Amino acid sequence: MIKREKMTRKFSILGLVLLGCLLTVSLILLPGSAQARNIKVGVIDCYSGPAAVYGIDALNGFKLALSEINKKGVLGKKIEWTKRDTKFKVDLALNMAKELVMREDVDVIVGTINSGAAMAVSEAIAKKEKVPFITWISKSERITGEKGHRYVFSAGENTAMAGKAGGVALSKKPYVKYWIAGDDYEYGHAIANAAWRNLKAKKPDVKLIGESWWKPGEPDLTPYITAILAAKPDAVIFCTGGRSMTNIMKAVKATGMAKKIPIWIHTATDHAVLKPLGAGAPEGVMGTMDYHFYYPDIKANRDFVKKFRAAYGQAPGFPAFHGYITAYFIAEAYKKAGSVDKEKFVDALEGMKIASPVGEIEMRVCDHQVVLPMYLGVTKKAVGKNFVMSTDIVTLTGDQVMPTCDEIKKARGK
Amino acid sequence: MESGYTITFAALGSQFLVGLSRAMILFIVSSGMSLVLGVLRVPNVAHGSLYMIGAFAAFSISSLFGGGSTGFWLALVFAPLVVALISFVAERSLFRHLYEREHLMLLLFTFALMLILGDLVKMFWGADYRSIMAPEMFQGAVPIFGSPFPKYNLFLLGVGPLVAVLLWLFITKTKIGKISRAAAVDMEMVGAIGINVSWVFAFAFVLGCLLAGLGGALVSPTVSITLGMDHDIIMEAFLIVAIGGLGNMWGALVGSLIFGLTQSFGVLFWPQFAIVFPYAAVVIVLTWRPKGILKSVW
Repeated sequence: MIKREKMTRKFSILGLVLLGCLLTVSLILLPGSAQARNIKVGVIDCYSGPAAVYGIDALNGFKLALSEINKKGVLGKKIEWTKRDTKFKVDLALNMAKELVMREDVDVIVGTINSGAAMAVSEAIAKKEKVPFITWISKSERITGEKGHRYVFSAGENTAMAGKAGGVALSKKPYVKYWIAGDDYEYGHAIANAAWRNLKAKKPDVKLIGESWWKPGEPDLTPYITAILAAKPDAVIFCTGGRSMTNIMKAVKATGMAKKIPIWIHTATDHAVLKPLGAGAPEGVMGTMDYHFYYPDIKANRDFVKKFRAAYGQAPGFPAFHGYITAYFIAEAYKKAGSVDKEKFVDALEGMKIASPVGEIEMRVCDHQVVLPMYLGVTKKAVGKNFVMSTDIVTLTGDQVMPTCDEIKKARGK
Repeated sequence: MESGYTITFAALGSQFLVGLSRAMILFIVSSGMSLVLGVLRVPNVAHGSLYMIGAFAAFSISSLFGGGSTGFWLALVFAPLVVALISFVAERSLFRHLYEREHLMLLLFTFALMLILGDLVKMFWGADYRSIMAPEMFQGAVPIFGSPFPKYNLFLLGVGPLVAVLLWLFITKTKIGKISRAAAVDMEMVGAIGINVSWVFAFAFVLGCLLAGLGGALVSPTVSITLGMDHDIIMEAFLIVAIGGLGNMWGALVGSLIFGLTQSFGVLFWPQFAIVFPYAAVVIVLTWRPKGILKSVW
């Protein structure tokens, strides 16, 4: 017994000495490293598989902005970034976000194209660990709507905005009988719901005569189109994205559908969709888009496109635009906050206004959602070029396409 | 739904043709898979990757020749050959040493190969969506049963049966075709009578993969050529081969028809739940005949 007591004492003394050493060492090291430490942004996004094209474009926009910002620095520091490939998987995104917070000690997390991943990271990491998370291109309205909280922001457009833009635009047309078709997952249904809700509110006599839903990425959409043509609706709303987008445009072209029935598709006027199709893209399709490298034709946008082209050899897509403004939101918020404190950063970012390629934009206080205009246009072959682009563009302002703060409060159940 | 619409005979007719043309692509890809399964006993998960490479190769070849009609026809001939070459190298360097392994090992191996090929495609072609145009004579649509039917799908309706007939002639009339069939039934006996089984295997494997490449090249004008095509097709091809009868060429045809037609009619009759129809058909067929509709060679 006595022997054991001695042993214990011996060990506890040894432990105390060790602890003391550790404390001394960390006291010497810590203040220094905290002073010299740069601002660190963790990027989680998809860099493999079909969605990689968006992830890479967004990251390029982000990198371009940082190269400009870091010339002067922020609070005497530089903004560093480190990226993780989520492979479009929710569980991987969660693990990586956790690792970025725990091991890399990042100050902010940004990403991702996958709404499911964004929602999971927002709930399990941002909200729980109180780490700011800015989603740049995931489009679920629930991120800043029903599931929004203090630590999550969106620098991208969302399905509520896109659907409202479509609903508002279509309500001005004479069509009554509608058919809705799209990708059978959250994005497709969210766009459809928002578009139909807004269209019905503005024009109560519209009728939905049928719906069809296919699996995302469904290769051959011709059977869906021939079935819709047989039902003879006045107009069709397609709610699809990613690679199904190209597939639907090809099927629309092959069946000559656009000449027979008016069609609205959010992102149909996206250059990333139209460019690979070349002259084979269908003309006369109505589309909405949150960014075009050729519109608005103002100096800020022309400068951004010029710099982007010089850096990456191609025009920026919409993800690059969102990556770019995300970086500027981060930099400006730190400048305003005056320190690398997560709470002060969140306070500073609320209601922040920055200059962007499409003019001044604002991070709305009530839902942490960026207020962006939406561009409604019709696909048409570009003069003297071998591809189709958006023409007759009408700008729908942020107020016209955003859900109101009251609607957000209602969605959050407050 | 607030008000209905009626399904006309014309709609049925055009839906039938559209389903049939989709079945042709499925047949070409899954017959190749069936051949490899039947002769080599290899469940090749990487078959879908070869289909994807066929589509990407078609894009490269077609754009090399300016993207016009000439480009398309050359792509249709050479893209499958590119795939054949890749599969030949894979067979001689990798598969050759693995035929004796159990199926689980082969599944794991081909699955790994699928991941590797997917990454190689990304490294070589990048992550962007690609697209090629159908040759001018097959652009646009013709009215059939009063609704527009894409001309390219008509072309597919011609190509499918042509491939089926050529395959049938090859397997029943040529010597190497007959040896392949014999090897599928009893490999050791074929070896015992002095035939180099290894080369028969190589040949059957390359032919099967060539069909995957051909499917990829044929489908490319109708879809976006992108990463992930491999996953889409492989699931369907496996199901088709399973309901048709493992390793049976005609089974692949029957399976493809069931898959393509249930899908297109499902879209017409119950569009909200169209996705379910082909898979429901698979379940029904397998409950009724667990070994597939036609005789399995396994």
